[in-house]
Amino acid sequence: MKKRYTIALVALVLGFMITLQFRTTNRAAEPVVPFDRANELAVELRALAKERAGLEAEANDLERKLSRTRLGYTQAEEILKAELHDAAVKAGMTAVEGPGVRVIITNTSERTAPGTIFTFRDEDLLKLVNELRAAGAEALSINGQRLISKSEIRLAGSFIIVNTQKITAPYEILAIGDSPALRSSLEISGGLVETLRDWGMNVTIEPRNKVVIPAYKGSLRYEFAKQAKEE
Amino acid sequence: MGLMIAVQFRLSREIERTVPVQRVQRLTEEVRAARQDRDRLQARVTGLRNELDDATTQAGLRPMKATLSGYRIEAGLVPVIGPGVEVTLSDSNAVLQPGQNPNLYVLHDEDVLRVLNELRAAGAEVLAINGERLLSTSEVRCIGPTILVNKAKRVAAPFVITAIGEPDTMINSLRMRGGVVDTLQQFWGIQVSIRKLTQVSIPAYKGSREFTHARPVGG
Repeated sequence: MKKRYTIALVALVLGFMITLQFRTTNRAAEPVVPFDRANELAVELRALAKERAGLEAEANDLERKLSRTRLGYTQAEEILKAELHDAAVKAGMTAVEGPGVRVIITNTSERTAPGTIFTFRDEDLLKLVNELRAAGAEALSINGQRLISKSEIRLAGSFIIVNTQKITAPYEILAIGDSPALRSSLEISGGLVETLRDWGMNVTIEPRNKVVIPAYKGSLRYEFAKQAKEE
Repeated sequence: MGLMIAVQFRLSREIERTVPVQRVQRLTEEVRAARQDRDRLQARVTGLRNELDDATTQAGLRPMKATLSGYRIEAGLVPVIGPGVEVTLSDSNAVLQPGQNPNLYVLHDEDVLRVLNELRAAGAEVLAINGERLLSTSEVRCIGPTILVNKAKRVAAPFVITAIGEPDTMINSLRMRGGVVDTLQQFWGIQVSIRKLTQVSIPAYKGSREFTHARPVGG
């Protein structure tokens, strides 16, 4: 008699499980996509909303400027000055300030064992700047050289060249942006700065309430590129 | 029974990590509409800038307008054309030996960064990847088979870098013995092809360039 109860119990549990299993398998058979893909789309949608808001504001501003320009020469000149200032800020031709980080890298090549190749290279600086850009840096400078879209960071002999100017250690990188985000992008475990430190380099990252970044000192004359009227 | 419990458990976990396809379809649709809307606004802004230029043709304003044009190019506010090069990068086609790390033979952020840096050092004036204008704030991030630039913009392989500048200087600099292209091809078998173009056209930056943290000093 006791044996029969046990069998009934096992059968009951088994039956329950089979049903559950069947139902989940059925659900799994519905078309689904990995969570990452949906997440990517959501991120893009957010970015697009921001871009649209920005463009909308820009279009309204331009419309206002345009109608004022048509009033006469004085107004046209005044509007053009405003446009010039606006473009200068976006092009890095004015000094800017804001919250951010100050990164100092001391080249400790004297202290590393002879024959090691682990001195600070242009590539490290290139990667560091890339990390800061990915973390949303709005303005950047290396040893007083403002980085613009065509700034190179390149080893030439024993110097690193930025904007065709020689820079030497210690390297001071300034970035304006959300300082916690900028800082954590560099200090992330297994990230670039950890690797640099493992190699014996001295890297300090200071969040700052106010960082001042100088204007680009070169000229923005273009020999080859011309403004096009249409895309 | 143990086996069943295990299958059950794994299935449930799998389901948690997925999203119904309908939701993604809706999202994809929304993204497409938002993109169209963005492009429409972008065209309107470009058009208004052209109108503003046409409305300020007085002789006295000419020097200011010349400066403005340069600033706009650097800021990515306007589309540009000029002579230049087109560099196409694609993953290695090397046949891997058993035990070799395939990760070494695919394109990394650093490779793209180095090619861009080399072009800049050779005097490139304006750059883009797969039609995405590169600015002073642009990063390059390789994520799987795609590259992420300008924060949320995803571009897929093959990666085509376009640069406006003196074509021969840029080509020589890239092709230098022991240079960037040499290293990429010889060591990792990354496929690089370089084309000289008499006219490259690079679109304006897609989006607005307002700063949220940086403000002009004293302004």
